[in-house]
Amino acid sequence: MNKGNGDMHWWLGLVDLLAHGVQHSAVKLQRVHLSVAEESFRILETVPVTRPGARVVRVWHHGISRLSYGSVAMAGAAVTRITDGYLRERDDRNVNKS
Amino acid sequence: MAPQVSTGRIQQQVAAIASGFLGDWLEHRGNGLAAPMSVFAGDTELQVEKPEPEVPGRTLCLSIHGLMELESVWDFPSRPGYHYGSYLAEQLGDASALKLRFNTGRPIYRNGQELAALLESLVSNWPVPVQRLILIGHSMGGLLIRSACHYGLVNGHSWVTRNPDCVYIGSPHDGSWLAVGAHRAAGWLNRRSRDYLRVIGEVIDLRSEGIRNLSRGDVLEPGVEPQPLLPEARHYVISGLLLRGQQHPVNLLFGDALVQQASAEGAGQSGWQLAGCANFPGVDHIRLAHHTSVCQQLEDWLV
Repeated sequence: MNKGNGDMHWWLGLVDLLAHGVQHSAVKLQRVHLSVAEESFRILETVPVTRPGARVVRVWHHGISRLSYGSVAMAGAAVTRITDGYLRERDDRNVNKS
Repeated sequence: MAPQVSTGRIQQQVAAIASGFLGDWLEHRGNGLAAPMSVFAGDTELQVEKPEPEVPGRTLCLSIHGLMELESVWDFPSRPGYHYGSYLAEQLGDASALKLRFNTGRPIYRNGQELAALLESLVSNWPVPVQRLILIGHSMGGLLIRSACHYGLVNGHSWVTRNPDCVYIGSPHDGSWLAVGAHRAAGWLNRRSRDYLRVIGEVIDLRSEGIRNLSRGDVLEPGVEPQPLLPEARHYVISGLLLRGQQHPVNLLFGDALVQQASAEGAGQSGWQLAGCANFPGVDHIRLAHHTSVCQQLEDWLV
């Protein structure tokens, strides 16, 4: 493998790793965010005065959070599709060479 | 003046760290960060089928790094290229100092199988007949040597019959407290009902097979009974301790920071016959790979 190819493969690998990291981190952060928020909403919903408002806020909060984290995860997934294609193509080329 | 670090060196370091954490996954994906196993003489990578070192010696001294490390871990600070192997080669004469680089996130037994085959190829293709083989492993590198010895013996490799000297420096033969801690923490967190705690457990669980093997010092395939040390070889153990006081509680708890003394000496293994065993209080895990006292000890044992 010449240096240029090796360098390219390294950068592609880094992008692939980071894209996977973004995708999976977004999903995990969403779970952490929602489960922590759930604890607060659970308390607010036990108090009669805050219960009606808390229910509405909870729905909006969870909806917006899912949309935001979901968008980031989707962007990460899109990049991994591209890097996946390159890595497979490279693998196939190496198999054909050998 | 601060030493300059080249882009290539940074890339290799990033690849070494990523390989340590997620090496098995990176390899499975064909990711360029997964470091393939390779042998170096100085800065030159050797082709094991046709090695062409500048000065081939009849003694091969191979240094094998540990988890998330590069072969540069062996170099003495401010003396690049000077390491235990090069010093021993100098003292022994007619010897070649080699270093191994490998993907530390792969299961240790798979790296051991590959190392055994690589040694067989290297020894049989070496430009002059190899009379002596010295294997020096730091941390996980030591476990790799034990694994390679087993697979070399099982596969009838000729290098095994050359009575290799195997040196284990800070190797967690009975496991590393940190890897055990990660294993237990992940198990405990995964059983919690709170999702945010389970997520932390899942993140810890992402660790590579190589790291998992370090929790018990597994060097063989799952299901294979623990094997004795290679009888044809001489085995030496070196351990370190964080502080100078041997019985200091910090030393008893953390050993050299990552590996406790008992684990480095294989206290939990049965039937070990060691040719030498030395402990260096005040020398931590990383410094064990490039310390003058350790170098002196290696000279006493091997030259």
